[in-house]
Amino acid sequence: MSSNPQQAHHERAATKPRPVESVVGNTMQKVATAMIVLGAAEFVVALSRGASAIAWQAYLVNLLFFLGVAQGAVVASAAFYLTQAKWGGSTPYRLGEAFAPFLWVGFFLFFGLYFGRSEIFPWVTHPIPQKAAWLNVPFLFARDGIGLGVMAAVSFAFIRASRGDDARAWSIATDDIELPPPSIRRLAPLLAIVYAVVYSLIAFDLVMSLAPVWRSTLFGWFFFAGAFWSGLVAMVLVATVLRGRLGEHNLFTNPVVMHDYGKMVFAFSVFWVYLVFAQYIVIWYGDLPVETFFIVQRVHHMPWSPLSVACVVLIWLIPFVVLMSVRTKKTPAILGTVSALGLIGMWLERYVLVVPSLSLDAIPFGPTQFFISIGFLGAFLLSAVPGLNRVAQAATSGEPVGDDAE
Amino acid sequence: MSAIAIVSSFADDAECAHAIEQLRVAQVGDFNTFSPIPSHRIEHAIGKKKSPVRWIVLAGGISGILTGLAITIGTTYEWRLNAGGKPLLSWPPFIIICFELMVLLGGISGFTSVLALARIPTAEIAPGYNGRFGEDRFGIVVHCDEEQAERIESMMKEAGAEEVVREGV
Repeated sequence: MSSNPQQAHHERAATKPRPVESVVGNTMQKVATAMIVLGAAEFVVALSRGASAIAWQAYLVNLLFFLGVAQGAVVASAAFYLTQAKWGGSTPYRLGEAFAPFLWVGFFLFFGLYFGRSEIFPWVTHPIPQKAAWLNVPFLFARDGIGLGVMAAVSFAFIRASRGDDARAWSIATDDIELPPPSIRRLAPLLAIVYAVVYSLIAFDLVMSLAPVWRSTLFGWFFFAGAFWSGLVAMVLVATVLRGRLGEHNLFTNPVVMHDYGKMVFAFSVFWVYLVFAQYIVIWYGDLPVETFFIVQRVHHMPWSPLSVACVVLIWLIPFVVLMSVRTKKTPAILGTVSALGLIGMWLERYVLVVPSLSLDAIPFGPTQFFISIGFLGAFLLSAVPGLNRVAQAATSGEPVGDDAE
Repeated sequence: MSAIAIVSSFADDAECAHAIEQLRVAQVGDFNTFSPIPSHRIEHAIGKKKSPVRWIVLAGGISGILTGLAITIGTTYEWRLNAGGKPLLSWPPFIIICFELMVLLGGISGFTSVLALARIPTAEIAPGYNGRFGEDRFGIVVHCDEEQAERIESMMKEAGAEEVVREGV
């Protein structure tokens, strides 16, 4: 023990959690704003230079990816209520809800696609008469716009209920409150169902319709399961990053909680590859040209084939092999790296789903698409700032963790 | 000489685990634990090494995959059917057979190795066993001699035992 009171004070100050504002604050806002400006500038330059097709492709890919991350994470929070998860107190819920403001950003950015419709949707310039009743511009923007609007509204109603005192009390109670509050019990299942419907619709309209003769009923499921996983890995990545920044006693230093996060990353990565295989085997067996071309273009056609392999490696193979052991799940550096690679893999997956339909023989990735992606990342980070501060608050509050954390 | 068996029952696995830790600190080695559920706390307190079942399951799973490959490749070469112009050795359907056989043989080897390692079924019931240790109570049976009995009984009560019974063997 130190006899010098001033030194003792310093020691105590060092172990005390840093104020939350300094964790996610000004610097991040400035950097994110700069990224948005950079991306927007590059987008405008590309449009004026005549590289509009490339710019709109990047716009669509990033819209799908970041909207998927933001929405997938909110659905993860709902899934925690549905499974009555108390293994991390209220923090996992705050973490799932942290990226939610991007849902409204994405909702407005979606309508931006209207101006790029002839560059993105092949059926705008070459209409398909048999499908015109479904694939026409006003109907597509109306139904998807309403879908995304409802999705965001339900998400925010859910988040409001989830941030309430009742829900928090439930999430940190060990035994005495059995079920989450009634508002949560209504909104969490509703959110999950609306998610399945709306994101299937988004998958059909914004991805499948880019190859308008291709069809697959499983595709919507595959698309939203991937988005859900991307939300999960984004949450886990944030958890591993915040772990080192919130002082000594934050929830993420608890190895049991990190083990639980690792299990989720592992499980839903396997689920993703299960859906990939379920999709692949049916198309392979049927061997109908109208179905197989979509796979052939991506798996057997250069230059796309290595990218498709990279997706499977990043999203399934690495998490599966690395996270099989308990020890790696409990090692934040490993878990964080796997999550970061998984996020890159998921972005690549959205890219490989979208772009080969529009540019089959060359990968159009260059400075234009890179800076537009940076712009979207900036918007995503900026909208996550208030949510991340809530995460930091919950994780350092020292609240009890339910005893099913095992 | 263990002439006496002290049977203690606990309502909570944490208390039971605590009692086991106390016994280990006191260097009483000759005891048995009964639990109605698998409990990590008790396992941890006993300081058991990790079970070898995992390796047996791994071996079973791998042999399942190999069996699957043997069946699929073997039958394909035995009956050279051209299905829809696909290559003779087409891996996508093989994966399903290999996966299912991996699950089957992995599961069977896990089940049988648990039975074998736990010596189930057995005709002999461990001394001190009580039916409630298969329902809702955790039990510790300590074998000791007269001099130690008193001390161990109080140790068990202190650790939170609901009931401590002395049985002569």
